[in-house]
Amino acid sequence: MRMNQIMEEAQGSSGGGQAPIVQLRGINKSFDKNQVLFDIDLDVQRGQHVVIFGPSGSGKSTVLRSINLLAKPDSGSLKVGGIEYGPGLPSEVGVTRGAGLALRRKVGMVFQQFNLFPHLCALDNVALPLRKVHHLSKQQAREKAAIALRRVGLIDRAAHYPAELSGGQQQRVAIARALALDPEVMLFDEPTSALDPELVGEVLKTIREVAETGMTMVVVTHELGFAKEVGDLNVFMEDGRIVESGPRGFYENCTSDRAKEFLKAVM
Amino acid sequence: MAFFDYDWSLIWDNREALINGLWTALSVAIVALVISVVGGLGLAVLRTAPKPFSWIALVYTNIFRGVPALVSVIWVYFGVALLLGIRFTVFQAGVIALSLLYSAFFAEIFRSALAAVPFGHTEAGWALGMRSPQIFLSVNLPQAVKIALPNIGSMFIGMVKDTSTFTVIGLLEVVRVTQNLVATTFQPFVLYTAAAIIYVIAAFAIDLIFRLIEGAYVRPPLGIVGRLLRARQRQLIHRIIDRTKAGSLTTESVRLPN
Ligand SMILES: Nc1ncnc2c1ncn2[C@@H]1O[C@H](COP(=O)(O)OP(=O)(O)OP(=O)(O)O)[C@@H](O)[C@H]1O
Ligand SMILES: [Mg+2]
Repeated sequence: MRMNQIMEEAQGSSGGGQAPIVQLRGINKSFDKNQVLFDIDLDVQRGQHVVIFGPSGSGKSTVLRSINLLAKPDSGSLKVGGIEYGPGLPSEVGVTRGAGLALRRKVGMVFQQFNLFPHLCALDNVALPLRKVHHLSKQQAREKAAIALRRVGLIDRAAHYPAELSGGQQQRVAIARALALDPEVMLFDEPTSALDPELVGEVLKTIREVAETGMTMVVVTHELGFAKEVGDLNVFMEDGRIVESGPRGFYENCTSDRAKEFLKAVM
Repeated sequence: MAFFDYDWSLIWDNREALINGLWTALSVAIVALVISVVGGLGLAVLRTAPKPFSWIALVYTNIFRGVPALVSVIWVYFGVALLLGIRFTVFQAGVIALSLLYSAFFAEIFRSALAAVPFGHTEAGWALGMRSPQIFLSVNLPQAVKIALPNIGSMFIGMVKDTSTFTVIGLLEVVRVTQNLVATTFQPFVLYTAAAIIYVIAAFAIDLIFRLIEGAYVRPPLGIVGRLLRARQRQLIHRIIDRTKAGSLTTESVRLPN
């Protein structure tokens, strides 16, 4: 039974067992006249680690950003942690209100460019959303933030400002900032692409540690070594479509020509 | 006439009147600065609103940036009295005239400062579940203010200088005081030199003050003022760091309300 469940999760199948924590159904998205996503279906099971990869401009970021409504789908439906969003549903009117906001608050996101707030020290970067979203007092928020920073090994840098931190450290603060809000799903959009090569390792190590806690994750990455290691479900995208997806071993066993070609070109 | 034929001692003898004039000028400019900063920020935000509203801000900005202070104060002081029957004091008229003009300048300063804050910070705020007004106030605005500060300082020097035109409505600012003294002493060269010196000193002082404020806004804070202002927060933060390292803070000690 247990084995079956693991196998099922690995294949991202939605039949039977628990409901997926993230469910995309027939998502379409255009920017002006340019359609960038076509009928995207994706299920992410609780605790699953999904890797999305594919060529530049294939829509990986847009898929990720539709999960937390930074990019609102034009059609299709989206369900995160039991909260549904889709054209016609009440949350569509104002994404930052009601159900849309509640949905977004179940999801943490880490960006390629870190996006730390430069006017706040590391501790206050993590504490700010705790105060604004969960209405913790300044002191409580800072204490919770300190715990999150210790978790990513940066408690000694808590009083430093982003400008005083290396890129790798900044990204780890950004990870702590998202984790401190206790999200149910973490999204990583090329978290190491903006880093000098020697700093990639520490960030991947932190993400690996997050994965080991059983956190549900969707990762867009060009680090295929890392993808092979963490990917329970691997999704190859091209031209706004999911071409092929598969469980562990996908990088050796994928069958579509496009995926094989892409892997051959980047490996 | 040789240099020593001028009675330079007049400057010292009339220092009190001149300094009072500067004080009046600064008072008008400071009150107008506060109003203009708020007004300019409002206009800058309005610029980002949907179309008919953003146009209001755009039109306002482009009209009032072009009006000279002299014309503005005549409108406010004489025009409003004529049309609406409202009589402002010279002080009020000066403040309103400056605020009308400089709100337009500050709108532009804040618009470009807000635009200079990377959009990624706003997106990060959204991704963290913050609401747009919260993001504006705690993420965008502090960064924009820091970017805008040097320009606000320069504008403020301009505001103080523009009060010199309010002599036309009889405001007892530096130029008006000088004119009055000239009328009794017949030493325009000496007294206008004194007026110039006072404006220059004021400009230096304003520049210095704004630099100190800027230093306090840089992160990490620069200069004595900046470090003093942050000292208490630093201390609080380091106390939390020490407790965390000592292991007395655990995941259980702070829970999110649910
Ligand atoms: N805000 C936007 N406005 C207009 N077009 C956009 C926007 N965001 C993305 N696009 C377009 O959508 C397409 C998919 O972009 P997306 O960022 O999702 O690709 P990606 O797979 O993440 O690429 P990369 O590997 O370069 O990050 C691209 O053609 C891009 O130009
Ligand atoms: Mg991308």
